[in-house]
Amino acid sequence: MKVRADVLRTYQTLHTWTGITTSLLLFIGFFAGALVMFAPEIDRWATSPEKHMPAIATERYDELLQKVLMEYPKAADSVTLHFDKSLSPVSWYEQGNGRGLALDEVKWHGTLNGDGELVTQLVPVNTLSAMLDMLHRTAGIIGEIDHHQAGVFVLGVAAFAYFIALVSGVIFLLPTLAKRFQALRQDGERKRFWLDGHNLLGIASLPFHIVIAITVTVFAYHDVFYGGLSQLYGDKPMFPAPQQQKIERQLTDLPKVSELVAHVEAHAPGYTVSYIRYANLTKPAASASVGVVNEEQLMRGALNDYVFINPYTFKIASSSAAHPDQNIWAKLVSAFFSLHFGSYGGELGRWAYFLMGLAGAGLFYSGNILWLEKRRRKGTQQQRSYQIMGALTVGVSLGALMGIAAVFASNKWLTLTSVNINHAYLFVYYASFFSVLGAAFVYGPARTAIHGLKLLALLCVIVPATSLLAAVIPATELWTPKSFEALMVEVISLLFGVFFWLLSKHVARRALQNEPGSIWYLKESKATSGISIRHTV
Amino acid sequence: MNSETRIQPHWLSKSLAGILAGGLLSFAFVGLVVWFGPDGLKGTLTSSELLWKTQFNMWLIAPVWLLILSMTFLFKTGKQAWGCLLLATAVCFALQAGLRSVL
Repeated sequence: MKVRADVLRTYQTLHTWTGITTSLLLFIGFFAGALVMFAPEIDRWATSPEKHMPAIATERYDELLQKVLMEYPKAADSVTLHFDKSLSPVSWYEQGNGRGLALDEVKWHGTLNGDGELVTQLVPVNTLSAMLDMLHRTAGIIGEIDHHQAGVFVLGVAAFAYFIALVSGVIFLLPTLAKRFQALRQDGERKRFWLDGHNLLGIASLPFHIVIAITVTVFAYHDVFYGGLSQLYGDKPMFPAPQQQKIERQLTDLPKVSELVAHVEAHAPGYTVSYIRYANLTKPAASASVGVVNEEQLMRGALNDYVFINPYTFKIASSSAAHPDQNIWAKLVSAFFSLHFGSYGGELGRWAYFLMGLAGAGLFYSGNILWLEKRRRKGTQQQRSYQIMGALTVGVSLGALMGIAAVFASNKWLTLTSVNINHAYLFVYYASFFSVLGAAFVYGPARTAIHGLKLLALLCVIVPATSLLAAVIPATELWTPKSFEALMVEVISLLFGVFFWLLSKHVARRALQNEPGSIWYLKESKATSGISIRHTV
Repeated sequence: MNSETRIQPHWLSKSLAGILAGGLLSFAFVGLVVWFGPDGLKGTLTSSELLWKTQFNMWLIAPVWLLILSMTFLFKTGKQAWGCLLLATAVCFALQAGLRSVL
């Protein structure tokens, strides 16, 4: 396809600028996002199995709820029944409410024992997956604006640039699209391999990236969009007015859990209830939010659809679940969310999104490498922008990986100490991140990458090694994975470890072969190598 | 190609045009969908339709804005970008006002 030369040039410049300014933020967002696809498994892996209380038969949930409400009247304000067998059957907050990343929340977990007695324990809420989610949504940028995380707005701006980068990338590839898509040239210039790889990744995953760019824009700026929309609506209401409930509610009138489940499952055929969150049970505003799962639907939430229902009258206030009377707009809105969350297609869908998230991180990293290679001059004298971007590329991407790996590696060990583990996660992440970033500037990208990747591989291997140790020496309070999902977390960590180790070897080989002036260049002699690595300009 | 027909860079003014005037245009365009598109405000909506249609309308703003922004750089000059986008915005708003009073 022919495209005018000036159009090509314009969009090539756009692609370069929008790409280089957002790639590192997006790298963190995508890598953390890939991991968040397995948030429930990661949380289950992160806490000792004894914190989860044994599951009970479905017909015993009534008895369980009755006993909880009788012995802990406060639970009537907010209590959740979990039908997912890997979670404690009932839980409610002693402190906190489960919104956002709060570090000091404490929850009651409860179950029934064989004699039908209520057994409970207080468990501090573990925020490992919530912290990964924070990194996913903010790229780790700290600070709040008007009770919203500042990083979310920054990634919202990045999403605008990212969309332009996608459009411009496609436009300037159009003339040679068919030819390039099939080529992954390893011969010739090294740059070509990165260029072909970048193009291949970008074109192959384009629909995914378009979806992510649009949804991130909405997630960051929906308040602004609703504000503008309200101007367009004029006097018309934007949403139906909530119905005021005035009837006093008493727990003795509360219908059975099984009736509520049956009602919800009849409303949304094909779905199963995964949890029921009762709220304000003794007040007129009594409500229940029910999580329902159907892997064959595009679900509105990351893990489930939602049905909001009155637990006394079973009147449905709103529902995102696919049901016979669902209108097209509800279907479309759920689809938008679902395409971001990957909450369709069950396990296969989650693995696909995990891989696409990692591939996205690779796409952004390769873009930076291309930027650097294009700007490299002959010889050892390089521009300041080249050196800074080289250090940032290695420092930020490796720093984020190191931070996440360090959190996983230290997790079980931290539980042996008396520190608040959620505070420790943040400390470990940011300390690792800034150490690597600093190292990239002080020791240069090449040496930071070679040694950093080795350390990163070690941290990844510590994850399964810790379990091995726990199996060999049962006296420690460490634990081994008790479920297939928790085992998979450690297997994946091991695979990451092997990959990073090989990568380190590869970088080391290249460092000695490369031309002077490349960010990867290292002189063989250690005594003199400092000169070429430090910033001489 | 001579320099009069070629695209001028004008990065700053085109970027601002795409963000500001493009933003206005996307709201103006979505305004037409809000009022006169399927299940628009001119008709009667059930509360469930209103609940989800409003969310859909909000979602629509993002892709429209992003598309306009990324195409803004095809304008020959920054001035032209501002002119065209603002004119299109005015047309959309005028159309909305006109149709709302007529229908």
